[in-house]
Amino acid sequence: MAAVFPSAEWLKELEAKLNSDERYAEIAKNWEGDLFFFIEPEGNLKERLTFYLDLWHGKCRKVEYQPAPDAHPNPAFTLTATYNNITAILSGRLNPMTAMMTSKLKVKGSMGYMMRNVPTVLDFVRVAQAVTTDIL
Amino acid sequence: MQPILKINLTSGETEEYLIPKQWEKDFLGGASLAARMLYETLTADLDPLFPAAPLLFLTGPLTGTFGPTTGRFVVCGKSPATGLWAESNIGGFWGPELRKAGYDGLWITGKAAGPVYLWVEGGRLEIRPAAHLWGMETYAAQEKVKEEVGKSSARVCVIGPAGEKGVLFASIMCDHGRMAGRTGLGAVMGAKNLKAIAVRGENEIPVFDLERYKTLRSEANRKLKEDNEAKVLRELGTAGAANYAEYLGAMPARYYTSGSFPAVDEVSGAKVMESILVGRSACQGCVIACGRVVQFPSDLAKRKGPEYETMVGFGANLLNGDLASVVELGEMCDRYGMDTISASNTIGLAFHLYEKGILTKEQSGGLELQWGDAAVIRQLVQMTASREGLGDLLALGSKRFGAHFNAEEEAVQVNGLEVAYHDPRGVSGMALSYATSPRGACHNQSDYFFVDWGHSHEEIGIQFIERQAQAEKAANVARHQDWRTVFNAIVMCIFANVEPQMQVNLINAACGLDWSVEDMLTFGERSWNLKRAINNRLGLTSQNDILPKALLTPLTDGGSAGFAPDLTAMLSAYYQARGWDPVSGKPTREKLIQVGLEDVAADLWGK
Repeated sequence: MAAVFPSAEWLKELEAKLNSDERYAEIAKNWEGDLFFFIEPEGNLKERLTFYLDLWHGKCRKVEYQPAPDAHPNPAFTLTATYNNITAILSGRLNPMTAMMTSKLKVKGSMGYMMRNVPTVLDFVRVAQAVTTDIL
Repeated sequence: MQPILKINLTSGETEEYLIPKQWEKDFLGGASLAARMLYETLTADLDPLFPAAPLLFLTGPLTGTFGPTTGRFVVCGKSPATGLWAESNIGGFWGPELRKAGYDGLWITGKAAGPVYLWVEGGRLEIRPAAHLWGMETYAAQEKVKEEVGKSSARVCVIGPAGEKGVLFASIMCDHGRMAGRTGLGAVMGAKNLKAIAVRGENEIPVFDLERYKTLRSEANRKLKEDNEAKVLRELGTAGAANYAEYLGAMPARYYTSGSFPAVDEVSGAKVMESILVGRSACQGCVIACGRVVQFPSDLAKRKGPEYETMVGFGANLLNGDLASVVELGEMCDRYGMDTISASNTIGLAFHLYEKGILTKEQSGGLELQWGDAAVIRQLVQMTASREGLGDLLALGSKRFGAHFNAEEEAVQVNGLEVAYHDPRGVSGMALSYATSPRGACHNQSDYFFVDWGHSHEEIGIQFIERQAQAEKAANVARHQDWRTVFNAIVMCIFANVEPQMQVNLINAACGLDWSVEDMLTFGERSWNLKRAINNRLGLTSQNDILPKALLTPLTDGGSAGFAPDLTAMLSAYYQARGWDPVSGKPTREKLIQVGLEDVAADLWGK
């Protein structure tokens, strides 16, 4: 049974999927950068959630669910979105580029790197969407 | 509004013209008001390069008010390239300075007996001789004029040698390489023997409710600074989009015959940022600063870096993977005063025809036009500006260049204006943008590629529809055109991702209006129909709403391979959305009356 989003189990499943997906490995082979996801409370989510992912050359080296605030002081990116917007992306109702361009997904970090690596970003979303359809 | 200064260069007479109050309300300013002002003047038999042709420099109600990206103005008239309505939107600091000098616009007719420049300072005009400036490149001419008027703070609009020699895509430049690039209005200025216009003033720019406006503009600018799209533009410039556009197959390569450019990582905004970027430049009051300042290690000079169109035009379009030469070619066009889109497109056509054996080495003056040969491209740019050899034909633009070689159908242009570098096979909404724009194949009357990239505007009913969808996006495109027409009226940069409600709040505060967002969009629709009516009067029909063969032929490579827009179906849906007559291509009488253009309805359809 697939894990429910958002949960620590979901994050571990995402890690496993990223590390077993050949297409992602190929498209993201040049990606170097860790990131924080901040999910702002809204709808069914009552408290802020934080995910940490260390993505490197087409693999996911590490994930952390609700890491300590000072655990990774200089991530390459921080991505912030409300719970409803994140779930809209995961369920395919909101195009990830639309989310970025309309600032529904706020991005902090090198926009240059992000724009160079749009295919990686889109394929990351594809993998994340495949983890589960079971959303809180 | 402040007065418009009418200047007849033949007689030297001037007159202050006051805009009728109703026009202020119905057409606001910028390109919309210009269309209303020039409606009767622009006739089918008017030669845009003859003295009678008008050249209108017009600001908008937000110009110079430090609102979000509002340091802009427009130049309007009749295009020598298309024979249709001409408008070109330009940033920098000149527009705000003109308003500070006491005028909201300059309406120029006639032709001076010899080269002149205008000096407008604090409500006073001088027409000064400029024979010594004729032939001078744009940056040097600006500096010389500033020196002569004795005001280093003066702002100068200027043409280069291309405008003097009647290159049909000659541009008008101000400040740090800011260009009114499209539709060849630099040639109109040159035909009037007008080299430059310097302005300087210290007046307060009129704003109806300044206190409210200040509050609104602070909020708008603060939000704009935080906007993701603005961050990309600030960090990477407009060419930051190159990688994404190439990925989608929306960045044409090899003169629109390929959707893939493997060297994109070397010729992109990201590469500029990582290698040669030393600064950014902004138009008046702009918090984005998309302008690039670059410097090569071997060179002490700091230069303007290329924006997206120049980057693709002299890069992917010509299979040129050498970033340094792209920077240089863009700068050459700026100095000669030529539009980089039309220049690179027309040169691309020459390469294309050479490859097909239609243009021979003998006809090219001994030049071998091999893709990616930057030295040859450089030579062709120079020859175009000076109208030497093959350059004399290139100076006519791609439609006429193609026709000369009996290959007009190979030219990637619409109604005489070269297509910009957003391929409708990758972003299909651009098919309608190009086919129905009032000034030929323009990407700024509706930059719908942004929507097709994913930038929806749900608050005004513009949803994201799959990037290669067909007729189902026609109404969306029309709505987007109406909205962008507002930008060209007030005058705001289309890179300002400002919410429509904020935009209308700014307009209301600046103009003393009480519009809703829907009122604002109706205003945009009125102006769009007015420009269409001008073109109908100039002979445009539904037969002109077309795309060149290349854009209707599916590509075999890249991210858009296998797709071509179904223009017939898209246009049918578009006409329906617009309320236009599909046979004549004119807005119907009912539509014109609905948007408040009763007099135009009577003119087009009879009383």
